[in-house]
Amino acid sequence: MSLALKHVGVLVDVTRCIGCNQCIEACVVENDLGELRHTPQQAPDGLSDRRFAAIVESPQGAYVRKSCRHCLQPACVSVCPVGAMYQTPEGVVLYDYAKCMGCRYCMMACPYGIPRYEWGSTAPRVRKCNLCYERLQNGQLPACVEACPEQALLFGERDELLLEARRRLERSPNKYLPVVYGEQELGGTSVLYISPEPLDFLGFHGAPGDQPYPELTWNWLSRTPSVALAMGGLMTGLFWVIGRRMQAEEKRAARNTSSSHEA
Amino acid sequence: MAAQYRNWIKDGLWALAIAGMAAAMLRFTFGLGASTGLNDTTPWGLWIAFKLCFVALSGGGFTLAAMVYVFHLESFRPILRRAILLALLGYGSFIVSLLFDLGLPWHIYMPIIHWQHHSVMFEIAWCVMLYFTVLTLEFAPVILEHDWFRHPIFQMIYRALHVAVIPLVITGIVLSTLHQSSLGALFLIMPHRVHPLWYSPWIPVLFFISAIAAGLMALVLEGFLVERWLGSQVKLDLLERLGKVAAFALALYLALRLGDLWARGTLPAALDGSWQSLLFGAEVLIGGLLPLTLLASRKIRQTREGLLTSALLIVAGVVSQRMSLSLFTMWRPAPYLPSLAEILIALGVPAAAALIYLFFVENLAVLDEKAPLKIAPARVQLPMTWPFPFAERNSLNGIIAHRSGLAVVIIAVMLAVLPIQTAASGALPLNLVQPARGWRILWIDGNRAKYQVEFAHAEHQERLAKEMGSSEEACQTCHHLNLPQDEATACWQCHRDYLQAVNIFDHTRHQQILGGNAACQECHTVEHTRRSAAACQECHETMSPKEGQAAFNPMAPAYLDAMHGLCQDCHAQQAAAQNRPELALCKTCHSLQENPSELQAAIRNE
Repeated sequence: MSLALKHVGVLVDVTRCIGCNQCIEACVVENDLGELRHTPQQAPDGLSDRRFAAIVESPQGAYVRKSCRHCLQPACVSVCPVGAMYQTPEGVVLYDYAKCMGCRYCMMACPYGIPRYEWGSTAPRVRKCNLCYERLQNGQLPACVEACPEQALLFGERDELLLEARRRLERSPNKYLPVVYGEQELGGTSVLYISPEPLDFLGFHGAPGDQPYPELTWNWLSRTPSVALAMGGLMTGLFWVIGRRMQAEEKRAARNTSSSHEA
Repeated sequence: MAAQYRNWIKDGLWALAIAGMAAAMLRFTFGLGASTGLNDTTPWGLWIAFKLCFVALSGGGFTLAAMVYVFHLESFRPILRRAILLALLGYGSFIVSLLFDLGLPWHIYMPIIHWQHHSVMFEIAWCVMLYFTVLTLEFAPVILEHDWFRHPIFQMIYRALHVAVIPLVITGIVLSTLHQSSLGALFLIMPHRVHPLWYSPWIPVLFFISAIAAGLMALVLEGFLVERWLGSQVKLDLLERLGKVAAFALALYLALRLGDLWARGTLPAALDGSWQSLLFGAEVLIGGLLPLTLLASRKIRQTREGLLTSALLIVAGVVSQRMSLSLFTMWRPAPYLPSLAEILIALGVPAAAALIYLFFVENLAVLDEKAPLKIAPARVQLPMTWPFPFAERNSLNGIIAHRSGLAVVIIAVMLAVLPIQTAASGALPLNLVQPARGWRILWIDGNRAKYQVEFAHAEHQERLAKEMGSSEEACQTCHHLNLPQDEATACWQCHRDYLQAVNIFDHTRHQQILGGNAACQECHTVEHTRRSAAACQECHETMSPKEGQAAFNPMAPAYLDAMHGLCQDCHAQQAAAQNRPELALCKTCHSLQENPSELQAAIRNE
């Protein structure tokens, strides 16, 4: 079932976030994530198999909500060998446990380092924000957006969110850096940020460039059929040509010996 | 000497394989978190690096098949079977290791059903699956030559495989080309993780070419090992020619790798002196250029020492490239250290493969096309007789008894010794609050907010004791000592103005000054309620606001509002004036850290 909305997204206004963690709490309740546990597998940023989002501090000290960006061209979706990571028509990136083999390529490929694993389980799942897709289908807002007391989170069509973001940047140019984070990077993300401070630290290691990640592989992978054909053709051809020449050589040698016999 | 050490080596391999099995039991019983050092920021670790090496070292299989069948180089046929066996076991190791690494190994068949052709891993899954089948079919004739398979059906299969060998070989070459390169292509999508000295848009090609060099040199190494331990004479001239082919591949690999780094301007970074750059230098010089130079000289190439050295160096160089790229130099924000169980599984799989190799070599015509290797029965007694001291040595019964005894002991010891990380990691709920500590100033969770605040305990104690006249009563104001699981009274239960604006009108004081209950009429003319009371300004004329001022408000701001009011306006102004938006952020004074003294430090500095 698809939504009435075309391409959904969330706009995060960093200047409005007071770091109260109510969005996280709502997320925990909605997704039934349970109590936070410290495990040796947990990353320092606060995301884990039991937390789909976390408030992190930027290097300059602003509160920034970190969660899945729902990329328009998601690396995790492109690398999944079985399509367990998939994108809905509305741009929400979801995970299907029934297909997953647990190779964790999605975790390696995500340029934001978002997906987390249930390391403590013997039948582990990959865990990440699902933008409350079920709530969206019921016409509700994502739990985090609904819970935010400061309207730091805004849900809507991505296009409209972009317009709103630009409107805010124009209205108070002193308050924000003149960038909408998520508009361009990696081909764009559904979760957008406007911020007084650079948000490059949200990238896994360094700021991601504008090239969509799946292209990095597709440039190579799309050549697979031609490489296979070329290699197959080359090998068959060589086998035939070399074999024929050797036969001819043998024949000539045989003829030479026989002719020398005659002589 | 060979027979003597052979048993020791075999026992060592058995020990490794069994220890790996014990570790595998841990891994499947307790999960990846308990048995490995993998974590959220390093989801791929030692096993992936080993798998890359298994496949790289199996590159000899398709290369030799191509040389013998496609290029008609019949002189290499004597070592074709061992090349295919080595590849078969290499890919077997890959697949078995994968079963440990996958979180849901029983879903390994999923790529057959759910196709996702944008994924490199999907392609690898199919190629490895098909190539393993091809290798099995290529090796099957060797098995079918055994006396057990004399039945006509087997003979028919044998002949069919013989007819199909050329298409099989070519399919194998195509599949190898695809997945050898695709194993490199796995890392194309993670420029954020792979170190720039190992990252390249050409990784797929580099992986393919280096697999040819490493695979051939692995065959050379195997030739020398087999000669030393199994006593099967090596054909030095064949190995030397393998070395020559490998040298060409190596030269191409080095030229492409260095050329690409140079062309993209990354190479100068190799000289920055970091340990990664030193590793890179060692890998390229010792594992690349040095063996290339050695192999370039025919004199050196034709000696055993020269060939063996260059084989070792090349294998080490390519293994280093795979391991560095996928393990050592990968960027990670949190440290990753493989656990003991992880290392044992990583080593146990190739150890088991080596045992299977020995089994095949001893029972099938692998090393020699005509007959299985004849190994003189070991004269040395098996090293361990316990716990079956009466079993006859060297009899089938004795060997089973010894090996199984060994297995039971090793598994038991491993299970006892292997650390289970879940036990240590336990479920610790996040709770920033700790028991109150200190005396004059205590650290307590005064606001029930799970954050510590400073609390002047001694001061409260003294003041309350003075007001109430008894210290016991004073203590009970906050501590209800008779209640189970007692918590002290929260700050806000007395300090009502902490969060809420309060009325500052002091009724008692007005009553006293105006003359007790007789004075009610002064304010309450109609009935004795707050609503009907006279406004303050009726008596306190001077309290009335001046022109333009807001009306008198008996509500005093809460402590919180007052403190914010003191700072916030100026902060907002200065943020705009100095163009420093961070000044207006909550964080400037409040930290996410649980230590509120940071707030005070900030205030003091201002």
